[in-house]
Amino acid sequence: MLEPPLSCQLSITRKSALSFNNTIVTVTDVWGRVVSWSSASTCGFKGTRKGTPLAAQTAVGNAIRAVVDQCMQRAEVMIKGPGLERDAALRAIRRSGILLSFVRDVTPMPHNGYRHPKKT
Amino acid sequence: MAFSLTSLSKSLSSLLPSQHSLPNLPQNPPNFAPPVSQSDPKSTSIRLSSCLTTPAEETNAITCPSFAYANTLFFKSGHYNVQVVVADNEPEDKLLGRFRRAVFKAGVIQECKRRMFFESSQEKKKRKVREASKRNRRRRPKPKDSAQSKEETSKKDDDEEAGDNWELPEGDLPY
Repeated sequence: MLEPPLSCQLSITRKSALSFNNTIVTVTDVWGRVVSWSSASTCGFKGTRKGTPLAAQTAVGNAIRAVVDQCMQRAEVMIKGPGLERDAALRAIRRSGILLSFVRDVTPMPHNGYRHPKKT
Repeated sequence: MAFSLTSLSKSLSSLLPSQHSLPNLPQNPPNFAPPVSQSDPKSTSIRLSSCLTTPAEETNAITCPSFAYANTLFFKSGHYNVQVVVADNEPEDKLLGRFRRAVFKAGVIQECKRRMFFESSQEKKKRKVREASKRNRRRRPKPKDSAQSKEETSKKDDDEEAGDNWELPEGDLPY
């Protein structure tokens, strides 16, 4: 029986209350079960440097390296959140040699949710 | 009919690997890895096969694996804002450009920035006015005879100035 292909989920979280950005990369299978994950902070970046495109690139590289050994060939990318790190991460995924099926943007959009903090 | 079935089954069996080796899960996972079940690999294969009930789905899984499970992924992930289907030979710059353009068209980043902080009713009105003016500017392009209108307005100004008698008349005053 063939293993179903693994899917790669890429999410960028932005924590505005604490005023720092981070990039978290999660690799899951098609049903959403996590296989491996990596983030800018686990790659050694701290503070404002976590929100840089370079940090996103290294996080993606780390996550994919852990999974390439498990014969992941095809991936679907899901990107969440705004920021410059999206492009750098997508570029890193493309360069890693994994075939991409589609790239999706799954940024959560509220139907006019809670009241946000006032403008500083 | 029987011959075609047998040939089909042969082709399918050739596509299937003779000894399928499941991916080796790490024995000692790193600290940050979430707890992945390290049970017997045979049990995982049984779980997988039970998910594919119909033979049509099985053939789909063999011929085009990623799209066979696309429906489950879509329903699990929920709604998405933008989707860009990637060709295998597409260069990365083109893919990035296409994705960025699609995201810009969907207005995802704009929406995110708007929802960072609370927007008062006045700010909301200003934003709506700005968006409406942008939309109307696209619908009604500027008239091309703007140069002519400028000449007309300058001529009008000259005529008006000629009618105004602000300068004193020449010669001495009578008194």
